[in-house]
Amino acid sequence: MNKNWVLSQEAFDALLDWLDPDREQAGIKYEQIRLRLIKIFTGRGCVDAEDLADETINRVTTRLDEIDKEFSGDRTRYFFGVANKVYLEYLRRKPPQLPPWPAPDSERIELEYRCLERCIEQLNHENRELLLQYYGVEGGAKIEHRREMAKRFGIGPNALRIRAFRIRLGLQACVDKCIKLQAEDEIYGSVQS
Amino acid sequence: MSLNIDKDDMKKYLLGTLDGDRKSQLEERILSEPNVYEELLVTEEELIDQYVAGSLTGIEHLQFETNFLVTSERQKHLRFARLLKRYVNSHAVLVALEEPSFVAHQYEVPAAAKSSSSFSGARLTRRPMLGLSVALAAFAVILFLTWHVRKGAEHIDNTSASVAAVVPLTPGSTRSSGATVTRVQVPPKGSEVKLELQIAHPGYPHYKSELLRENKSLKTISGLKVEAKGEQHVVPLTIPAELLSPGDYQVRLSGVLDSGADEFIDNFSFRVIE
Repeated sequence: MNKNWVLSQEAFDALLDWLDPDREQAGIKYEQIRLRLIKIFTGRGCVDAEDLADETINRVTTRLDEIDKEFSGDRTRYFFGVANKVYLEYLRRKPPQLPPWPAPDSERIELEYRCLERCIEQLNHENRELLLQYYGVEGGAKIEHRREMAKRFGIGPNALRIRAFRIRLGLQACVDKCIKLQAEDEIYGSVQS
Repeated sequence: MSLNIDKDDMKKYLLGTLDGDRKSQLEERILSEPNVYEELLVTEEELIDQYVAGSLTGIEHLQFETNFLVTSERQKHLRFARLLKRYVNSHAVLVALEEPSFVAHQYEVPAAAKSSSSFSGARLTRRPMLGLSVALAAFAVILFLTWHVRKGAEHIDNTSASVAAVVPLTPGSTRSSGATVTRVQVPPKGSEVKLELQIAHPGYPHYKSELLRENKSLKTISGLKVEAKGEQHVVPLTIPAELLSPGDYQVRLSGVLDSGADEFIDNFSFRVIE
């Protein structure tokens, strides 16, 4: 298959129909599969994990007719088999290398830090407190401290861990957005700090 | 959430060292089980935090840099983890306590949470305050100590000053703006503040520090020794309260070789507030 093949709207619709008869659910499943494939390819050390995930999805899409006849079971798992083949082909090609880490740019770091400050200010009080307390302890005292925190919040330690992670994830998204906005401001020459 | 996942396997997977069959089984679960996928994401962030904190073993550290940081997305997450650590570290405010016995019971409050209160959170062993009740208890302790200090200065042993606060400082925490630098309340007269300078690579026979205020040298202390604190290494440094008044301070830390020559390691900053 031509790896540059682009998913047409018709093919994409067919894929969604195959994933779930409910279009909204199908869209969610598609996104989940794509993100998880990216993680799997990343876990295998692939620099261009996103391209490989898309290639896997495209390949499944082109074979939907035959898959529909031959395959039964968890459709998500079907992608795993295809991903393995895509990965083997990737290894046969000369895998690209990630360019060296860019040198730390202090201005960029300060911009990101300012964005982080703003995003943390936007958190509600409880989430801000949870974030600062959860990540505020390192070393040997960390485990006991987090256990105490979980008790205080009335949840299990793992639930606390997931909750802190989700707040952190939201913060990362907020910082990304903030940086993008700042960059746009700079482009238009109206930087506001 | 019971996932029946070996956490060590997950870590090995992220570091690129999990063997074939187990790796394949885990990947299948990542693809088909939402909870396993989320666990992977959480473990990924925790691994990054361990790297940033310097708590990975030598081989894990190498595997992290060689196998984990293979995508720009992960490198971005690493940058974010460093920013978050810097923010969290710089938003601890210290409350001076008089008795050394209180050291193990001090608490931390995020600056954001304490900004509207005259009571500031404290941290000595980085055990944060866990609730209003604890806050009130700590507040009561401060009131008691204030009364105690005023009532009977004779209780303070002038020959061995008490530790008013223990302040963990990370290297490179210098902020030119000073907006988020670690803050310490003015310690009571006759007491001391113990700084714990975190270092990544303890390898010198001993250390030398220079305390500066606005680029003016106040005190140089030699013969300092590194100590293990949990998974980290710190160089403890005790500063008499008399040297600390509201303002910005810097500590220059150097390692001293057997030959007597010293090598600059890092700067550590903090601010003393009223």
